[in-house]
Amino acid sequence: MGQDTRTNDELDAKLKHYRLNRDEHKRIAGLLGREPQGVEWALFSAMWSEHCSYKSSRVHLKGIFNKSPRVLQSFGENAGVVDLGDGERVAFKIESHNHPSFIEPYQGAATGVGGILRDIFTMGARPVAVADYLCFGRPEADRMEKIVDGVVRGIGGYGNPVGVPTITGQTEFDSSYDKNVLCNAMAVGLFRPGEKVFLSKAKGVGNLVVYAGAKTGRDGVHGASMASESFGQDSEKKRPTIQIGDPFFEKLLIEACLEVMKQDLVVAIQDMGAAGLTSSSFEMASKGGVGFELHLDRVPLRDSSLTPEDILLSESQERMLMVVEPSKLKDVEKVFSHWGLDAVAIGEVVAKKTMTLLWKGEKLTEIDPELLTEHAPMYERPFEAWQPMHRVSDVSKVVSKATTGGKLTADAIEAQLLSSLSSPQGTSREFIYRQYDGHVGASTAADCHESVGALRLKDSGRGLGVVLGCRPQMMRLDAEAGGADAVAFPAIELAAKGFEALAVTDCLNFGNPERLPVMSSFVASLKGMNAVCRTLEAPIISGNVSFYNETEGRNITPTPSTGVVGIRPSVNAIPKSAFSRKGDKVYLLRWKLFTNNGVLGELAQDERRAFGDLTSEGALQSLKAAVETLRRLTCDDTGLVSSSRVVGKFGLAYALARMCLSGGSNGGRAGGLGLRVKAQALSGLKWSAQDTRDVAELLFSENSYEVVLASREDAAAFKSRVAAVAIEAKVASPEIVELGEVANQANGEQMLSFEAGEGLPRQLDIPVKRLRETYEAGWQKAFRLK
Amino acid sequence: MAKEFTFGVTVMPRKEVLDTQGRAVEETLKREGEPVVSARVGRYVELKVTGTTVKEAEATAQKISSGLLANTLIETFELKLL
Amino acid sequence: MGKSRVGVIRFPGTNCDRDVFEAVEQSGAEAVWLWHGDQFDFKGFAALILPGGFSYGDYLRSGALAARAVAMQSVREAASHGTPILGICNGFQILCESGLLPGALSRNHGLRFIDAWVDLKKAGGKTTFGAALKVGDGIRIPIAHADGRYIIAEENLKGLRDNNQVWLEYVDNPNGSIANIAGVTNAAGNVAGLMPHPERAYHEWMGGSDGRKLLEIWK
Repeated sequence: MGQDTRTNDELDAKLKHYRLNRDEHKRIAGLLGREPQGVEWALFSAMWSEHCSYKSSRVHLKGIFNKSPRVLQSFGENAGVVDLGDGERVAFKIESHNHPSFIEPYQGAATGVGGILRDIFTMGARPVAVADYLCFGRPEADRMEKIVDGVVRGIGGYGNPVGVPTITGQTEFDSSYDKNVLCNAMAVGLFRPGEKVFLSKAKGVGNLVVYAGAKTGRDGVHGASMASESFGQDSEKKRPTIQIGDPFFEKLLIEACLEVMKQDLVVAIQDMGAAGLTSSSFEMASKGGVGFELHLDRVPLRDSSLTPEDILLSESQERMLMVVEPSKLKDVEKVFSHWGLDAVAIGEVVAKKTMTLLWKGEKLTEIDPELLTEHAPMYERPFEAWQPMHRVSDVSKVVSKATTGGKLTADAIEAQLLSSLSSPQGTSREFIYRQYDGHVGASTAADCHESVGALRLKDSGRGLGVVLGCRPQMMRLDAEAGGADAVAFPAIELAAKGFEALAVTDCLNFGNPERLPVMSSFVASLKGMNAVCRTLEAPIISGNVSFYNETEGRNITPTPSTGVVGIRPSVNAIPKSAFSRKGDKVYLLRWKLFTNNGVLGELAQDERRAFGDLTSEGALQSLKAAVETLRRLTCDDTGLVSSSRVVGKFGLAYALARMCLSGGSNGGRAGGLGLRVKAQALSGLKWSAQDTRDVAELLFSENSYEVVLASREDAAAFKSRVAAVAIEAKVASPEIVELGEVANQANGEQMLSFEAGEGLPRQLDIPVKRLRETYEAGWQKAFRLK
Repeated sequence: MAKEFTFGVTVMPRKEVLDTQGRAVEETLKREGEPVVSARVGRYVELKVTGTTVKEAEATAQKISSGLLANTLIETFELKLL
Repeated sequence: MGKSRVGVIRFPGTNCDRDVFEAVEQSGAEAVWLWHGDQFDFKGFAALILPGGFSYGDYLRSGALAARAVAMQSVREAASHGTPILGICNGFQILCESGLLPGALSRNHGLRFIDAWVDLKKAGGKTTFGAALKVGDGIRIPIAHADGRYIIAEENLKGLRDNNQVWLEYVDNPNGSIANIAGVTNAAGNVAGLMPHPERAYHEWMGGSDGRKLLEIWK
């Protein structure tokens, strides 16, 4: 009896240390036919962690729409690969580094960028772009200023030296991220014609297993299993050794790896990411249906006191594992040494499907790799069918008292617009973008200042568009609609710049999956995303799941961030996101599917209200119509459409204000061009005769989907062009509202004006200069960071 | 009566974390054939603080060092009264 | 007559090497790779360019470790024989650290990395790079650096001006450089360095093509 108790206590302590539960222990013992021993505990701990095994999400990820004729590689490798035609292909993926960025913001964000870059060049693609999706807490939350500063510095501190431009980003603020920020980094890599895609599948009995790059230290031991746990107050204390990224080393590693691949010297290759050597070696062997004999004592060490278990679990950065034919080892060593790096054979491929781990000649374990990679438990966590809580059946109920305080005056609209522009959600992100090198590579055609980042592909001259998605306010409103929007909104942004969306990567940031509402929102948002991906034939080809974004019992907003990549025939005449050509007519194209009281309603703590839907068959068809129509209007070199912007947070008023601010790091000091919005336009904003929302409410409501276009064509010509394009695409034409004309000079300066008319007692004139000052001052109002 | 005390604060990367600068310096020197075994790069701060006693001044310097001058997650520091 | 050969030197951590290489080729010259670890015969080259990036991660001081590279011995020889040499961004820092250009580049006054397009004005200098520009002409090209604040002792600044070594000036000083200096030359005028990146302003789709005015000298 006493004996049993002690054994149980010991077992529980061991399970706690290795972050496994009793059922999992039973499963391990069953698979092995005995109790796990020695390093096997560490192996199972790492490989069966949520982070590596996807044990809570796998059952749902199986249903993801992930194929199209363009997809060359979907899930299962380091990144997905899409065929662009003309021999050009892109690899891309987005990944989270949330917990490390909260603990040590600079290194957390920096190593996040480093890790995602390795996922890309592991495939043989040269990284050509980075994009960052960041969610921070309220500026006044504890440590938030330091975290924002550190994360932004960290991304720049790694991305800039390594020589990959950051071409787009999205930054959100909400109290649900106060103690659990999100730092998701996306990387895009390019295969030029003739360049080969490399995979991680080990092959060839007798081939060598070669370790390359940085030496192994104590960095991040147990990192993978930590990333799979909720945060408590003691999280800052129980952290593993902080992983330090070295972008200089990574740059050398990129060049060396791409060179050995160019010379066709490697059979298979994989970076050492989460769970380090363990996951890379076990996955490579498992995929190849072979075994490895690994001599852990041959691993180059930075710290000679590391134990075999430390070596297996270390998450030291900038390391790769390769399978190399013995005759080519010399050439591999030569390439790496040219770049000042080590490449060391630490084992070999064996026919028997067994991983044999050795330490100074002593056998530590012999184990079938598939037990760890394929036999992890798969949980069917409970969830409920999604019930949209905020959906109303009457569009007139979608109001936000905040907009006018009940009084409809021009003054109230002006005050609201200015406060939106200076709020953390609405203010300029220049502080962030300025710190990123957006132009290294000399291929950037549209940088962070545009709503879609774009690169010119050197060989074909075509444009590659990159944009991020997921609006947390939509997720808080309705996880299914928010999930749909996380793909639809960026796809429409791409289309409004003339890009065809090709494929999607996603980073599913959620709270604790063992909680019913979290799991339910996960399932619902995946359903929404899937429906849109299928409709637009833009499959999800890569990504990751980050569960347990829960701190002290509070879960984050469900945040399935996305990265969408698109193609355009050229980079000439991409519409700007701000007004750029005087005299152009400004139109609002509308597909009225879904409307809600938006960020403004949320800030005012109004009751959330939404009307319509995004996932019914009709809505999905309209979505397709929007994408097809917009792309055809903007994809050529004629420059017919000079500017475009999708209406998002804070509705139309905010979108128009932003368009008045000639932007971009190359925007010049012109100061922007104004617009006078016609009286008829304002009265034309109602959704229907039953829509009782007043002008102020309509100006700030967030509608899916509305796009502002500026074109040199007059109304008759533009409308007939839109109609013709819709017929060509076999879709219905959108509603078109004429808003006014670009440039609105009054009293010697450019103004954003709204003419008096029905619902607006007097004309409202706001100087563009004032909009700019307010927009730019907002950041400093929120943070003391300069 | 408050007096001024000057402290030399040496901040170094923790032994177990990677010292990226030190590695680059060390390898460059080794490549040049210098008889260098290792190089580690930290920074040095001279901090003048006021206090009524050495003890009080040292507590202040200690607080400043751990709170700002060094990131104790990845660095250690040493105070020396000058 | 064959094309002019222009050497592009790569250091560990150089990251604008391919951008500069392509810009040189688009400018009608033959670009040739040179490796930091190798000496080379400078006589075969019409010009040498040290591109931007983060050689040795900018560790210790930007450009300090690269200035000790083997290839820099050949660069020195070339400099003393009058070969046109251009350092861009980190290349400028390396030339300053190696003593081939006067002054030093230190952390921006705002202490942060800055990526932005800037307006520049030609102030003087005898370098062949951008020789077609007249003093006072303006060009607009991007900067991307953390250590771009040009510093030089006041007394040496006067000498720099007297010798016509101040090449380019910022119109709106982004980084706190002394006297708005964005680029300088050596006393002889054949070695020049600037912080902005001409190779990133080569086509209208990049946002502008003024960079050609500095590099397009071989057509």
